[in-house]
Amino acid sequence: MKDSCSSVSELLEKYFDQEVTDRERFLVEGHLQDCPTCRDALTSMEGLRTLIKVPVEEATQQEDFPWVWQKIEREIRLQEKVSWWQSLRSWIHLSPLLKKKTWIPAVAIIVVLLLITTQVILKKTPSYSDASVVEYIESETHNIMVYESEKAKMTVIWLFDEEDEEDQELSRS
Amino acid sequence: MDHEEIQLISRCQQGDQEALKEIFDKYHKRVYRIAYGVVRHREEALDIVQEVFVKLFRSIKNFKGRSHFYTYLYRMVMNTAIDHSRKMGKQFVSSLDEEGSFEPSEEIEKGPERILLQKELEEKVKWAMEKLPIEQKAALLFREVEGLSYQEMADAMGCSIGTVMSRLHYGRKRIQELLKDYVGPPGQSSGPSNPLKGEGVR
Repeated sequence: MKDSCSSVSELLEKYFDQEVTDRERFLVEGHLQDCPTCRDALTSMEGLRTLIKVPVEEATQQEDFPWVWQKIEREIRLQEKVSWWQSLRSWIHLSPLLKKKTWIPAVAIIVVLLLITTQVILKKTPSYSDASVVEYIESETHNIMVYESEKAKMTVIWLFDEEDEEDQELSRS
Repeated sequence: MDHEEIQLISRCQQGDQEALKEIFDKYHKRVYRIAYGVVRHREEALDIVQEVFVKLFRSIKNFKGRSHFYTYLYRMVMNTAIDHSRKMGKQFVSSLDEEGSFEPSEEIEKGPERILLQKELEEKVKWAMEKLPIEQKAALLFREVEGLSYQEMADAMGCSIGTVMSRLHYGRKRIQELLKDYVGPPGQSSGPSNPLKGEGVR
């Protein structure tokens, strides 16, 4: 390597990458004419570039890309199908009223009211539909019917006379 | 960026899939080259291409047009390729051993099996590239494969031109050391054992 190589070596890579100014190019090309070492260095860089580039170029040429696009399209379509939960969230996010979070106590009150109402509605009134007559006693003054319900663990004794059936008495045991 | 490309990007930002298709047609080979350059594996590279364009469609709204679109895309490809490699949890190790005891076969060198030699060379280059830090690898791919200028590389890599030059220099130096049997280091003339010097793979 010549002494002048050290001054050019810093420029050699820039020259190879075509990033030098006109003045620098003139300097490097003047040096290269007399310096086989720097010419070799340049050739070596060219060889390295080829080694890196050619396999990549060849792999690219062998590839068929249309089906890649089809896969991309399918993937985008899949991602666009948002779930109902995401839709609800985005709706909540967009609604200015709901954005203020005032809806939270309102919803809480509604839920509590619904729970109470449901409890009241569902509270069962006695029903005797599943009761069965276990005894029937006739007398001159009154008739007696005894119902028993296994489900409600309840016994109904019904006193009545034939003329006035409204006269009845319920007793629970 | 030309006017046509600005319009294309604007359409894509509004969710136009046709515009994305046009971007794909224009850039998919470049994306594949970088992806393949990083992973050196066909299926992995194709997966990266797919991932990049899906990601691009979702995030193109963030592109403000301050740099060239392709440098924005290159950065996305490189990041995706690196993430992909990490996610797969493997290095794309070539058949060569880790210590680098690869020696060119004299029979092949002297014989007519040029294709075999090329295959060996490809494996050797793949192995050598894997040895580089990812920044140097990216710099080499952007410059040697894509032919980006220093400024474009700086944009794509998010660093200064000085850093780009440094990464390129050390990347080349390292890879020339690793491939010294094929590409002589600067300042040394190569002997007959350097079959590709000055003539390339083909």
